[in-house]
Amino acid sequence: MFSKPVPADSLYLAWAAAVFPLAAFGIIMIFLRRLPKAAAGVSLSAIAVSLVCAVCLLARHWHLEMPLESTVQWMASSDFEIPVGVLIDGLSLLMLVIVSGIAFLVQLYSIGYMAGDPGYARYFGFMSLFAWAMTSLVLAPNILQLFIFWELVGLSSYLLIGFWYEKLSASQAGKKAFVMTRAGDTLFFCGWLILLVWGGTVSILDLNHSAHSLSQAMVTASALLVFGGIAGKSAQFPLMTWLPDAMEGPAPVSALLHSATMVAAGVFLLGRLFPFFSQSDAAMTVCLFIGFVSMLLSATMAMVSRDIKQVWAYSTVSQLGFMIMALGAGGYAAGIFHLTTHAGFKALLFLCAGMLIHACETNDMFEIGQAGGRRMKLTVLCMTIGALALSGIWPFSGFFSKEEIMAALAAANSPVWYIGGLAGVFLTAYYSFRLIFVILLPGSTKAHGPGSQSGPEHARAVMHAVLVILAVITLVMGFFAESLQNLLTGQGVNAPGVHGPFPAKVVSPVLAIAGIVVAWLEFGRKDSARIGFAGRISPVARLFGQRWYLDHAYGWLVGRILDRGIAEGCQQNENRVIEKILHTVAGSVTACGRAAAGWHRAMIQSKLMVVFAVVFGLTLILLAA
Amino acid sequence: MELHAAQFPFLSTLLLFCIASLGLVLVLPKNSNTAVKWVSAVCSGATLALALFLFAAYDRELGGMQFVEQYRWIPALGISCIHGIDGFAAPMLLLTGIVFFTGVLTMWHLKHRVKEFFALFILLVTGVYGMFMALDLFFIFVWFDVSLLPMYLLIVIWGSTLREYGAMKLTLYLLFGSALILPGIVYLVSVSGLDTFSLPALAQKGVFSGFEQKVAFFLFYVGFGILAGVWPFHTWSPPGHVAAPTAVSMLHAGVLMKIGAFGILRVGMFLCPQGWVHWAPLMAVLATIGIVYGALVGLRQTDLKFVIGYSSVSHMGIVGLGFATMTVDGINGAVFQMFAHGVMTALFFSAVGHFYDQTHTRQIGELGGLCRVMPVAGSYFILAALAGIGVPCLASFWAELLVFIGAFRVYPVLAIISLGVLVINALFILRVVEKTCFGPMAVHWAHLQDVTFGMAIPRAVLAAAIVIFGLMPFLMYEVIQTATIPLINGLNSLAGQTAADSINTLLSQWMSRLP
Repeated sequence: MFSKPVPADSLYLAWAAAVFPLAAFGIIMIFLRRLPKAAAGVSLSAIAVSLVCAVCLLARHWHLEMPLESTVQWMASSDFEIPVGVLIDGLSLLMLVIVSGIAFLVQLYSIGYMAGDPGYARYFGFMSLFAWAMTSLVLAPNILQLFIFWELVGLSSYLLIGFWYEKLSASQAGKKAFVMTRAGDTLFFCGWLILLVWGGTVSILDLNHSAHSLSQAMVTASALLVFGGIAGKSAQFPLMTWLPDAMEGPAPVSALLHSATMVAAGVFLLGRLFPFFSQSDAAMTVCLFIGFVSMLLSATMAMVSRDIKQVWAYSTVSQLGFMIMALGAGGYAAGIFHLTTHAGFKALLFLCAGMLIHACETNDMFEIGQAGGRRMKLTVLCMTIGALALSGIWPFSGFFSKEEIMAALAAANSPVWYIGGLAGVFLTAYYSFRLIFVILLPGSTKAHGPGSQSGPEHARAVMHAVLVILAVITLVMGFFAESLQNLLTGQGVNAPGVHGPFPAKVVSPVLAIAGIVVAWLEFGRKDSARIGFAGRISPVARLFGQRWYLDHAYGWLVGRILDRGIAEGCQQNENRVIEKILHTVAGSVTACGRAAAGWHRAMIQSKLMVVFAVVFGLTLILLAA
Repeated sequence: MELHAAQFPFLSTLLLFCIASLGLVLVLPKNSNTAVKWVSAVCSGATLALALFLFAAYDRELGGMQFVEQYRWIPALGISCIHGIDGFAAPMLLLTGIVFFTGVLTMWHLKHRVKEFFALFILLVTGVYGMFMALDLFFIFVWFDVSLLPMYLLIVIWGSTLREYGAMKLTLYLLFGSALILPGIVYLVSVSGLDTFSLPALAQKGVFSGFEQKVAFFLFYVGFGILAGVWPFHTWSPPGHVAAPTAVSMLHAGVLMKIGAFGILRVGMFLCPQGWVHWAPLMAVLATIGIVYGALVGLRQTDLKFVIGYSSVSHMGIVGLGFATMTVDGINGAVFQMFAHGVMTALFFSAVGHFYDQTHTRQIGELGGLCRVMPVAGSYFILAALAGIGVPCLASFWAELLVFIGAFRVYPVLAIISLGVLVINALFILRVVEKTCFGPMAVHWAHLQDVTFGMAIPRAVLAAAIVIFGLMPFLMYEVIQTATIPLINGLNSLAGQTAADSINTLLSQWMSRLP
């Protein structure tokens, strides 16, 4: 046995953490659609309960030695059973706290941000759905349950990205997110079907502990297929283009999506099945490679974008690439630790961006700078803290997690990954501070800025409070690195502690600072031209700006190949071939009928001829006989 | 097949109730529209309640045929009237009840020839109920035809786009199907030498050779398969959907196509298991083609009802794939899919019906932003769309899940192809949702009305069925299983395991070639 049953009170806590948001969703969608205030209250209190449960669980099981697992059978079809239950170990406890914590803060922020929106109640309903899906996902003890909530996470992000459904771009972005992640999910589905049908189990603990008893081919095949799902959810190459579009949703949704929920689910799954994945070298190398490509590609995209939310969206893809690389290199704790710190500071960055966008009514960072975005002092301060963490500057949380990742990469089999990681560090610092300097040090500002913004005072106070909480978390999180690692690696998972050589510890902060300095030279100085080094070469700028033409490729694939090619072919087959055959059959039946009817016309001559011919023929036959 | 006699003739009561209501509707004076509607509503509500009761009262421990009643009919020809339901028929009765009830309520605002419409509608449903509970081949055939013929009139008189063509095509196709079923039945009865049409008697005592089973199964498969929308005999279905009025589309896609699948199950698989084993690969290939093809053609449609029509072809392909797997999981999933798809398309068509009543167009390009003016109707449409995509916690997901698991064991390649279609499915259904419900609203739609509370009731019933069985699939599987396990045990086939082993070695061979 690899686990012990969950004690009863912990079980209740875990169930409560998952079920309360579901209840809130049901209540809001059925009864409270016309009562926005009540809806917000219900949703917020449900997620608060989840958060409290999560924190209690974490406190209770801080020194957990062995995973706890309890399941009940939900559905059975002969020999195939679908159990539901909870699996409590370091990873799920940590994720549960992150998810419910960020969701709580984001919902708190949304009270002010979404005030006056006609879909206020619906918004909180979907938020609760999201919280339910995500909390149940992190607690899932088997891949099937995980898959179900994985799909529901996709569904709720579809609903939330397309929340402002009257905006065509928003509903298209939602559709794109759903279909693209669905493409990955289909691979994931195949992957776990292989495990179920030929491996005989989908229990996560069983897979992690007995992966070596399965054949190597099967482990590799299913790991690669499951990784397809991870790439879809975590927006990795080549299924990455949905995430930048996903910022069409309200800013708090982006904050939630990019930090703790949707995209985190992919990395979480990789961490969940880490011992299983590490059975297959091929799968780990693919992880490294895909993470590497996504990390660099999206960093270059972020360098030229003018849209403030888009920059953070690209940076999310890039940071997720870092995490995937870390896990691929064997740095389990490093990857998950970066997921944790990233959840905090990325939520902070998006919420700050939301404040600026709300006040200046534009997404363009240059316009925000000119409109005097820097007068919103607290917001800009918080955003700078977030950007410092993102760049990996001491003492902010990002520094510690990035150091862990670089150590893991340095220990990997090839120096390419480490060098790529360093390039990523430099680019990250560069694009984050490009944004900060554009807003903080604009060439000229309008006299009346958003310093005196409208809106109720208490709502703004709540929003500011959320920012401050997240900023504080960003500041102190790094110092808990040690204890978090103990929590994560204390049990079953044996990730060897990786410690890079001393120079490696210095190189990446130096490169980060270099990135900031380059950004200052190009965007911060008084007489700077405000064009980045990538922007100077127009083909490169176009390549980066057009997202390496990935969207064009997908457009071509769907529009030309699928829509106008294969589907049109089938449609023509339907109209031309099958209908034609039908008409031929029907026509021949009619023709037979007509021919038969011909014999019954009142034309005596022809009939006499026939009678005569028959009589003649019969006579001949009789004579011959 | 164990028969458990009924304490009370529930099934006959259900049927007689329909027939009595039909008679009542016919004798009501010509202009008493309200009375006709109320009689239909009460009839449908009562049958729904009865079907729900039967579904709940079906003894899951006991299994077999329950609530069985036997009456002598024409003893000289071996025809008797046997009613009974097993784990396959109980969900189908419930489905019929739900769709009947909601269909009647959906047509509440009908003004044109009300009495005739509801009379034909009740007649059609009577046939459907009869088909699901009949255990005598003669009666199966009779009820089958009773449920087909009113369709022609319902479409021709109350239909829309190309209604004569659609109705004629549908009727000819389905009659062609029944022209194959009748010889199949007569052939089986005559070679059995038992001089009876009773299905339980034939299943227990009849000894059919392999050849006889193969021939008869093929006849049943094609004959009933036409009604189930098996590719390439599906082309009657989308034009039929488009031409039919809302409630008839609901019945047509929701229940009528299930009759076909149910016929294959009840007559084909029960009587000719060897024929089933023989033809299963063909069924699987045709089903997979149907799944892929339906989704691809659906991608190119511009009429809302055509989109749903082709998605029905795709979804019914999943039923066919489940049947072809010959595993407990596959059949469980297939029967659940029959139920889930029935409820889902009924909701789809009822939402589209409301859009059409309000806008008088079904062209996707002309619609847009409808959620703004009709949020309730739009929500139900979106719920149906999500169920159609196979989102978890909605009924279709569990059905598709089990079918794919079953298919993956037996036909891995076909299963993977069908899985790929999930993406296309999501693409085209979400595209339709986006173009009708989302996006900016055209100014001339601003005056449209949302569904009233009364008209929301049928949609709410359907949505509740989707969500309840989606959250608690065991309610359904407990019942279905009681019929599936004996069927598969009877089949006693090892096809599943051998296929699985061979594929595992194949996979290893592929992987060993990689660096």
